[in-house]
Amino acid sequence: MLTEANQSRLLPPAERPVLARATALARFVWTCWKLNLAGAMEFRMSFLLTAGMMMVNNTVWMFFWAVYFHRFPIVNGWGLEDVMMMWAVSTTGFGLSATLFGNCYRIAGLVASGQLDVYAAQPKPVLLHVLITRMSVSAIGDVLYGLLLYAIFGEHTLLGACKFIAALLLATAIFVFYNTLVQSLAFYIGNAEGLGLQMFNIVLTFSTYPTDIFRGFSKLLLFTVVPAAFISYLPIGLLRETNGLFLAGALLMALALAAGGTLLFYRGLARYTSGNQIGLRM
Amino acid sequence: MRADTFGESLLSRKWHKYAAVGRITVSSQLAYLADFFIRTLFLVVIIYIFMQLWKVTYEGVGETTIAGYAYRDLIWYLIFAEAIILASPRVNLTVEEEVKSGAVAYRLTRPLSYIGYHYVAYLGEAALRLAVNLIVGGLLGVLAFGVPSFGWGWGAFAAMLLGALTVNFLLRMALSLCAFWVEETQGLVFVYDKLLFTIGGMMLPLELFPDLLRRVCAWLPFQTVVYFPSKTIVAFDAAQFPQMLLLQWVWVIPLAALVGWIYAKGVKKLNVNGG
Repeated sequence: MLTEANQSRLLPPAERPVLARATALARFVWTCWKLNLAGAMEFRMSFLLTAGMMMVNNTVWMFFWAVYFHRFPIVNGWGLEDVMMMWAVSTTGFGLSATLFGNCYRIAGLVASGQLDVYAAQPKPVLLHVLITRMSVSAIGDVLYGLLLYAIFGEHTLLGACKFIAALLLATAIFVFYNTLVQSLAFYIGNAEGLGLQMFNIVLTFSTYPTDIFRGFSKLLLFTVVPAAFISYLPIGLLRETNGLFLAGALLMALALAAGGTLLFYRGLARYTSGNQIGLRM
Repeated sequence: MRADTFGESLLSRKWHKYAAVGRITVSSQLAYLADFFIRTLFLVVIIYIFMQLWKVTYEGVGETTIAGYAYRDLIWYLIFAEAIILASPRVNLTVEEEVKSGAVAYRLTRPLSYIGYHYVAYLGEAALRLAVNLIVGGLLGVLAFGVPSFGWGWGAFAAMLLGALTVNFLLRMALSLCAFWVEETQGLVFVYDKLLFTIGGMMLPLELFPDLLRRVCAWLPFQTVVYFPSKTIVAFDAAQFPQMLLLQWVWVIPLAALVGWIYAKGVKKLNVNGG
């Protein structure tokens, strides 16, 4: 006998109840992530090496800040713990974006090489499908490193953990949709791989320095065009003291980037053309 | 023909071969000049960030010098240090690719030393990249502080560059040659790069390190690659300069021997099929 849930599965996707559609989508996303991880685990030694290298890379900056704070205990109100938590938020946020939505950094390349056809032909939301198809193995090292920093320098209370999770959600959303937006420029200007990479590097670099060392116009840029300050200020504006105005700004920025990135992607997809390359997803 | 003239002629022809490799490398790399300039964007961003960071630091401390460096000297130090690091060609990728693809077999049959060939090519590419980095970084420094007056520092920097690039090449080559035994050398070189960033003095001059760490760094070769030339140009010290120069070349001898030894071992083990 067909249950209500099974009955709704027989309907075309657009006619299914919203909840059933959301559940099906969540299941699809989960399956993609599981398969991505299983794929990475096929080359276990390579996975460990790559993730380990990212951890070594991050340790370099911990070394820099440790030496810096050994000599100067505070920089414009930021202490060692604040900087470490800034790193915890930005590395985990970046790590989650590249692990769970890895293709947000490669959309321009997919557009330029005509590899979007395979996604456009499948009955799933194209942007979501594109984003979750790739998992950056090295970024898992960033996630682990960020969590380790939280374990050492974070506030280990329920409230502290909730705030940290909220900070991660905001940072991840900003990374994913900012890159989706920039990379989607490929639909309009052709080869945007270089531009996308440079813009990503700028946001990532600025998101790992205390916001308060910047002043005037550069600070304005970091809260607008290069929204790195909404990530780097999270340890102060959310974790240390909850600043409502900053949080509202960060939330609005994340929503604006999500809306802008999605709009730019789908408008671009409408004008997307490709050659005769045949793609296949197993 | 007299024996000594004959010997000189052979030596001169040998040098000409290597000089030609260097010239060819520079001319082929000139094709990527625009790309080199685009890549300096990261240099500009990081120097800009360090300018902001150190500006508030100096203001916070309320001193005009920290560890003997005035604000402008420290920024110039960082410009030179970053320029040197970002100029380093990725010789490990070339060697690894040659070993994996078997192309090393063709390279070995040529009348050139394998290490010597890569050394000259490395110097040629590094010189070009460094020139680009120094133009862009120097422009940033001039815009912020005006034209610097390093005096003897310029000449001392030029003299130290060869030693710095040579030590850097030898360390990279020693790790790259591990490709004869292991499939991937990228991880090893990655860690080496991070050592240059940290205890090599790229991110901070060694004077800012805690005493114990500084004493440890003095026994390692990494300081000769970044710290020595960058420190020499911004704070030239006639007494320290010859010591630093000597130390660079003292490191070159054991490192060159190490590279030669690894290479000799690796080549004996090499087995290339097909062609």
